[in-house]
Amino acid sequence: MLELTHVCKDYPSPRGALSILRDVNLMFERGDAVAIMGPSGSGKSTLLYLLGGLEPPSAGTITLDGCNPYTLDERGLSRFRNQNVGFVFQDHYLLPQCTVLENVLIPTIVAPENGIDYASRARELLARVGLTDRVEHLPSELSGGERQRVALARAIVTAPPLLLCDEPTGNLDQESAGNVADLLLELHRQLRTILIVVTHSEKLAAQFPTRYSVRNRELRAM
Amino acid sequence: MKTATLIRRNLIWYYRVNLAVVLGVATAIAVMAGALLVGHSVRRSLHQLSVGRLGRADLMITGPGFFRERLAGELRTAASFQTSFSDVASLIALTGVATRDENRSRAGGVSVFGIDQTFESFQGIEIGALEPGEALISPGLAVELGAQPGEMLALQIEVPTTIPIESLHGRRDETGRTIRLSLRGILPAASGGEFSLRPQQGPVRAIFLPLSELQRNLDQDGQVNVMLLATRRGVVGARQAAEGLISDHFTLADFGVRVRQLPAGDAGSVISVETKSAIISDPLAGVITQVAQELGVNTNSYLSYLANSIRANSIHSGAKESVRREIPYSLVTAVEPGVLPGLVDSESDALPPIVLNTWAAADLAAQIGDEISLDYYVWKDEGRLDTDTARFRLVGIVPMTGLAADRNLAPEYPGITGAESLSDWDPPFPLDLSLVRESDEDYWDRYRATPKAFLLLDDARPRWSTRHGGVTSIRLGRPGELDENRVSTLLRRLIGPETIGLVAIPLREQSEAASRGATDFGAYFSYFSFFLVISALLLVVLFFRLGLEQRTREIGLYRSFGYQPSLIGSIFLREGLLLSLVGGLLGLIGAVAYGALMVIGLRTVWTGAVGTRLLELHLDLESMFGGLLGGLFASAICIWLTLRSICHATPRSQLAGLIGSDNNSAVDRASVKRPIMSALFALSGGLMVILAATGTIQPVGGFFGAGSLLLLSLLALSSWWLHRRKRQNGLGVIRSRGGWGLVLLGWRSAQARPGRSLLSIALIAAATFIIVSVESFRRGEVVPTNDPHSGTGGFTLIAESLFPIADNPDIPAGREQLNLDDPLLTDLRLTRFRLHAGDDTSCLNLYQPRNPRVLGLTAEFIAANRFRFKSAVDHVPNPWELLNIKDGPIPVIVDANSMNYVLHRQLGDVFDITAGNGQPVAVRIVAALDDSLLQGELMMAESNFTRLFPHDDGYRWFGIVVPSKRLDRTDDIAALLEDRLSDYGLDATGAAVRHAAFHKVENTYLSTFQSIGGLGLLLGTIGLAAVLLRNVLERRRELALLVAVGYRRWHLATAILAENLLLLAGGILAGIASSLLAILPALMERGSSLTLASFASLGTILITVLITGCSASIIAVRAAIRSPVLEALRSES
Repeated sequence: MLELTHVCKDYPSPRGALSILRDVNLMFERGDAVAIMGPSGSGKSTLLYLLGGLEPPSAGTITLDGCNPYTLDERGLSRFRNQNVGFVFQDHYLLPQCTVLENVLIPTIVAPENGIDYASRARELLARVGLTDRVEHLPSELSGGERQRVALARAIVTAPPLLLCDEPTGNLDQESAGNVADLLLELHRQLRTILIVVTHSEKLAAQFPTRYSVRNRELRAM
Repeated sequence: MKTATLIRRNLIWYYRVNLAVVLGVATAIAVMAGALLVGHSVRRSLHQLSVGRLGRADLMITGPGFFRERLAGELRTAASFQTSFSDVASLIALTGVATRDENRSRAGGVSVFGIDQTFESFQGIEIGALEPGEALISPGLAVELGAQPGEMLALQIEVPTTIPIESLHGRRDETGRTIRLSLRGILPAASGGEFSLRPQQGPVRAIFLPLSELQRNLDQDGQVNVMLLATRRGVVGARQAAEGLISDHFTLADFGVRVRQLPAGDAGSVISVETKSAIISDPLAGVITQVAQELGVNTNSYLSYLANSIRANSIHSGAKESVRREIPYSLVTAVEPGVLPGLVDSESDALPPIVLNTWAAADLAAQIGDEISLDYYVWKDEGRLDTDTARFRLVGIVPMTGLAADRNLAPEYPGITGAESLSDWDPPFPLDLSLVRESDEDYWDRYRATPKAFLLLDDARPRWSTRHGGVTSIRLGRPGELDENRVSTLLRRLIGPETIGLVAIPLREQSEAASRGATDFGAYFSYFSFFLVISALLLVVLFFRLGLEQRTREIGLYRSFGYQPSLIGSIFLREGLLLSLVGGLLGLIGAVAYGALMVIGLRTVWTGAVGTRLLELHLDLESMFGGLLGGLFASAICIWLTLRSICHATPRSQLAGLIGSDNNSAVDRASVKRPIMSALFALSGGLMVILAATGTIQPVGGFFGAGSLLLLSLLALSSWWLHRRKRQNGLGVIRSRGGWGLVLLGWRSAQARPGRSLLSIALIAAATFIIVSVESFRRGEVVPTNDPHSGTGGFTLIAESLFPIADNPDIPAGREQLNLDDPLLTDLRLTRFRLHAGDDTSCLNLYQPRNPRVLGLTAEFIAANRFRFKSAVDHVPNPWELLNIKDGPIPVIVDANSMNYVLHRQLGDVFDITAGNGQPVAVRIVAALDDSLLQGELMMAESNFTRLFPHDDGYRWFGIVVPSKRLDRTDDIAALLEDRLSDYGLDATGAAVRHAAFHKVENTYLSTFQSIGGLGLLLGTIGLAAVLLRNVLERRRELALLVAVGYRRWHLATAILAENLLLLAGGILAGIASSLLAILPALMERGSSLTLASFASLGTILITVLITGCSASIIAVRAAIRSPVLEALRSES
């Protein structure tokens, strides 16, 4: 379960603290799929980074399955992200120097030894996203949609309970965007993750059962 | 997938930037290891040179005098020789002046070797027997003289004197002799042509002639002065073994000591001990006394001297008036009390007692109680022969028997004691033969040199003793038998080599030590290359940082996947170390190339710093791996620091591609901290200026420190400006149109990557600072001056003679004696110095001086307070007077440069030098001269010099002041002096010229530093170009956008050029401003010496930097404007 209690986020500025999010309270269970919408600069991405353990809140608490990542030390926080959070960014951020398979395996390099055969899992995930024949290709040899599918596979390779996507279709054409969105939701259903997607796309948001918008620093259900 | 795989992928993928890092590391390591290699090469070359020039000679036995040539044969058969030594050779080694007949070209200070077949066989070379009148010369001398085989040479050599020239009987007029020789050929180095007994990096100037011929010309038949020994392999303690050989095989004759049995008298057997020098030194007298004690016999010391006249003034009652009678040129002997009846000190008489023999008493008609006057020559310390008179009371008249008739009391004086008659005398002092009467000749015929008068030793010594000794013979006697052999054996056993000054010198060991301790070019080139290394390391930082910046999102991504920062750091550190290792291995190859290049530089353009073209590159694993490890360590530190600086950003910033901290408060803190730091640096600099100006701290160091602080302050200020937020950046909103607007746009671009921009400014500023500062230390032309506090001491000329000059050329009598009565020379002031030959302590000698040259300074020179001092142990008005300190080690003064860079000593240091008797003596540096021409020698008071080096007679070094009105004829004066004193092998040089020779070495070092520093600056400029190119490529989309909205390509070029020029100009101006402050004292002190050439040289370097920087801009501009605009706009980040 992901729970946010009175979460606020401010940024210091020369003219005093700049409030981005105010008193956000949320609770999501496994299997929830949520789309968050809002205009640029409204704090959508900030919320995503707060949830993903990349940026601490200014106030309030965030817990995932009872664990507040921001109470952990640097080492614990890293492990938390590795095991509990999967990220998909608008810019796929694939490592150009690594093959598709290697890109998927990047998170597993620092994953704790638990007997899982990540290489097989990565191949399986790549098969699921339809890239079986692209395993040894470099990112530069893929289309935009394919790259995003690799990024999707990479995000779930450690089977995290929380999958966070920041404009996952923002850089894709309509067809590719549709494909990626379908894939995302299908994988979510199969893995029963908590899926939170930040998007400008009404079409993508419409596919999610729960939708929120961020306006005036507050999160409101749509 | 493993981390190692990821690292491998990373290394390959980012090969371009990685290659730059590799090259940066390779450059740093090449330069570091190369510099050490240069040091090793110089040491090895010097070692090979000195050891190679010795041939097979490991040790040398030598002393102040000559010994038997046959001794070598005797040693060879000795058992103790066989165990330690494989061969021995005897030769004569001297110094001379060689003159080529054809064009009178002259070479002074030439090594003269009298050799025979044994030398050839000892060295394992084949020269072929030299015929009398033939000579071979070294290649170096052949080049200097331009001499060819078959030509005639005149060789002037010093004639060994047994009697000190600074004594009555010393032959001052015959110190040199000239031999005419036919040049048979030039002896190549492989055949021993460069044989040299002293390590020297310059060409060897040597002449070889038959031993027998040299012996004949020196009147030293069967005598030599050097014995070479070759040790057996692996022998330890060869020096002690050689000293043992001296003790066992050298005879009293080899030591110049003579023992003779005198006819037995009533008192029993008497044995007289004398020396070839006609004077017994105090240490030898002590040994003779010891022998007497061991034998249980009595000793009597005698001091015989020549009286120019013995006069009697009769005052007895019978005389009507005082009658004055006189005996010319008589020997007088001083004896111990009681030796002659009545000759005892009388407290009641003011005049000391004297006894005449009956012949003299009768000749003078003298009676007991008469006053007897002795006129005698005495050699005065000021360098002239003077006549003194002493008055005595006649207390006895002894018959011509026994001691009174003993003609053996007079030592052997060449030209006197062996003469057939008084009129045949050929003494080294003026003689008025008209005073000699027939009766005097009769006395000579009958009694020869039998003394006519006797006085007490205590009365004679104050008048006739010299520093060489106070007795002419010591007699051992006792009733009954006294075996001459027994005395000789015991005497021989007790005379240590040090008593005579005979020493065994470990030539090879000393050469090795001298080359080991030679000027450390490894350290010098490390200093010289310091900036090049820094530039290379900054490039490593720059490129590594560029690589990291390029991969900022990758770092953020790793962090989002749960990679700990330490793991990410470890990945990049491992990448960096691997790159460093590859760079290091490449650097080793580069080190050889760099070392070779520097050695070639030292052999050619920088030969002024080393004075030899014989240097070769010698590879050395220790130096190379030392440089490799040093370079790897430095690179690792740089990489680690870079990683630390870049990994501070939050993952979110990194994912957004932001490098710096996105923490506004941190930015704010930094924006406050930087101006504060700048102000603090500036304030500290100001404080140092005040302290330096008020003399609280040393001005040069103070201002240099202040300049460095100003540089830091300006860099902090630049950092502050570069890091300011755009709207606060002082440029305002870019509202200008046209060119100025483009310039502002370019300048603002410099703020896009403030770290890179600052690094570029720092690189250029530091290089400019170093290069401009170094230029200020360049020595200007030395202008001849009579200012006694200048670097020349106010001397116009300095001169060095090959043979000692005893007469004082600064007084009329001495000038007359030395034939310096030409009108051109009348107003000259000549200051003379005693000189002990030894190793040059100036920067002209690369070897570590083991036995430095020493100058003995007269009291007049000390009182004159010439030259300028840099430091002294005590603040006294005239630091030269510190040389008169009596307690503790012997005080010496040296030039500060020689002290620091050649002797590697500090003010107040105490160290040993070798005295004339081969024994170590402690000296203490009490003051250091500031930039003087006296860089080649240690200086001590004359009183200490004569005590330490009793065998170094006379004066050989001269400082000459030419009056202002004759300055235009200085060259004529020098030539005239050389001509008039050619018998002494005098060589006169302009003092300014000599001083300039030292400056030339310093300036060559500075040029080396600047050249290598210039390379560093160019490297820095290349770094700047890389930064610029990188900036442009990163901003391709931004630039493309500008094109899309209507910018023309020249607009972009202007903006980029403005950005580059801002960084370049910022760096250069910051460097110049801070260096000008640093060199302010030098500018104020030597403003005139900073010549136009200096500024031109600086300008050239700085303009080269500007051109290189602008070229980099142009490349960047071309890269930017060639990039297809739409593609750039479409391309992903």
